[in-house]
Amino acid sequence: MTTRRGFIASLLAASTTPALGWAAVGNPAYLAAAKEPDGAFALHGLSANGQSTFRIPLPARGHAGAGHPFRAEAVAFARRPGPFALVLDCARGDVIHRLTPPENRQFNGHGVYSADGSILYTSEQQSSDSAGFVGLWDVESGYRRIGEAPTGGLGPHEIHLLPDGATLVVANGGIATDAGNRRKLNTDQMRPSLVYLSTDGALLDRLDLAPELHQNSIRHLAIRKDGLVGFAMQWEGAPDAATPLLGLHRLGETPRLAEAPLAHEIAMKGYAGSVAFSGTGEEIAITSPRGNRLHRFTAEGHFLGAVSRSDICGLAPLADGYLASDGGGGLLAIEMGKPRALALHSCAWDNHIVTL
Amino acid sequence: MRVLSALALSLSLAAPASAGVKETLSDHILPGFARFGAASDALAKVAEADCTAPALRPALQETFDAWMAIGDLRIGPSETGALSIAFWPDTRGFTPRTLRRLIAEEDPVAGDAAAYAEVSIAARGLFALEMLLFDPELSTYKAGSYTCLLAATLAADLGNQARDLKSGWSETFAETLLTAGEAGNATYLTQAEATQALYTQILAGLEFTQARRLGAPLGTFERPRPARAEARRSARSLRNVVLAAEAAHSLATAFADWEIPVTDAAFARVLEVADAIEDPAFQDIRDPSSRLRAEILQQSVHALSEAIQAEIGAPLGISAGFNSQDGD
Repeated sequence: MTTRRGFIASLLAASTTPALGWAAVGNPAYLAAAKEPDGAFALHGLSANGQSTFRIPLPARGHAGAGHPFRAEAVAFARRPGPFALVLDCARGDVIHRLTPPENRQFNGHGVYSADGSILYTSEQQSSDSAGFVGLWDVESGYRRIGEAPTGGLGPHEIHLLPDGATLVVANGGIATDAGNRRKLNTDQMRPSLVYLSTDGALLDRLDLAPELHQNSIRHLAIRKDGLVGFAMQWEGAPDAATPLLGLHRLGETPRLAEAPLAHEIAMKGYAGSVAFSGTGEEIAITSPRGNRLHRFTAEGHFLGAVSRSDICGLAPLADGYLASDGGGGLLAIEMGKPRALALHSCAWDNHIVTL
Repeated sequence: MRVLSALALSLSLAAPASAGVKETLSDHILPGFARFGAASDALAKVAEADCTAPALRPALQETFDAWMAIGDLRIGPSETGALSIAFWPDTRGFTPRTLRRLIAEEDPVAGDAAAYAEVSIAARGLFALEMLLFDPELSTYKAGSYTCLLAATLAADLGNQARDLKSGWSETFAETLLTAGEAGNATYLTQAEATQALYTQILAGLEFTQARRLGAPLGTFERPRPARAEARRSARSLRNVVLAAEAAHSLATAFADWEIPVTDAAFARVLEVADAIEDPAFQDIRDPSSRLRAEILQQSVHALSEAIQAEIGAPLGISAGFNSQDGD
């Protein structure tokens, strides 16, 4: 144990040593979970041109992951309600820690590291009533559980840090689920919210949707360098409502909902699976694997256009636009609204692409 | 890590996959859009001469019939283009509300078919026209009235939309499907993807017929919803179900270059059980025996979908999308 700690401490101290950082695994720009052709699951590192730089088997379908800011170390979360998360040494391909949430807590599929890499924040819910919590894990002591803070809502999903490094943003989806499965229990009484917490757990700001949009589950987040937050929603109400699926918000300000023209909104089927700002930050996009399309908006929320692609879901910023992934194995660059195939892999990419 | 290039994958699947796409386009889809275009043009011409409801009704029925052959497609130009031609279901009542507002305000947009393209999609296309021509209150309008002008403009706008859809398919999107897997085609990275996209359209159309065309009026046993039947004003609800099943069967026949006897039999069964239904608008659905017949029709549409999955999807190894089936 002492030896191991000593090893990790020296690793941290020498964090620029290429062999132990992301350079050791081909300098991937992204992480993405996938289902392999043989039905097994894996976490891949991806380069900006869509090549897989490493691949580590996972014991079950992964949802999102989080990458350590400088060590070649990633956390892969099980799908919600998640009983475990795995910390992977991406250079050696080993599982180095298996994180288990405390009694009466479940992982909800997302997490994020602090900017200095010392703490991992995880999105969790209380098994008994879906009340949301942020779990805190001390990285240097081998991912020891060191605390938690309530998120002030039910069923939190994605969690992120603002660029100030001191503010957490949490998408409280508002959905209570059965502890043993994903069955939704409260879609008539949902109250999703977007909350900002200090890293010690104090509530800084809370955004609730208008009453008529209370069934629009806030689930996924994108953060721009200046702190602008994009939040993507999934409609749980009657079909064909064609509600907005993207919102833009800045801490302390009034949100703006981004609507597409009605025919386009209907074609999204009430579902946004991922959200990302473009590489320049000038625009933002959401994907709908159910509608097989991506919608682009200006950072002010004005609709720019759609791109069609079957089962598209994963989305991340790329130099001049976006990197998008799909269940058919495709990785596309979308630049100025035009798709360009970067690579076709034999796996099915899962819902998200995590930027390193 | 096996990483296949687009070229390698398309070569390995080329032979069985491409035949279905080409024939589905040439045997069903492109002639279908041509027929719909001709019917819409004919409707617009009738409306130029006489825009009253009795004069327009037969031509609207023919246009609607033509639409049903290709109306459930939701890819390429039809992905959003179909919605401004067939805005249904309209659970929030946008179509009657928007039409009544236009009429009450005598909005001058009714005199300009080109400008009408900017009006809400709820007040365009087949269902808006159906409302004007068949609603007991609205359809009494006189020649020379604002509503008559609105009906003629709706017909002209529909003709314009049909022309755009037809050219979008024949001049652009057919090529996108046929060049699947070629360099520069970022919509379909392999021929197998184009095949899957068309196959998925057949099943999605049948799913829509089961869940909405039949499911909406059926509601629940305790609360049937006859007012939610599709195109009930023009008494086309049953006809649309039959024509949607016919379109799926025709698409499946063109798509598969082998015999599909189970699918043929399942389609024959749809026609047979549809024949037993008395009210073409499903307005008798509160009656338990009428309800039962509609449920049997719904089951027969489901059986048609299952037959297509067994006879076409299974041999091609096609299944539904990874992410679309499983949200989070």
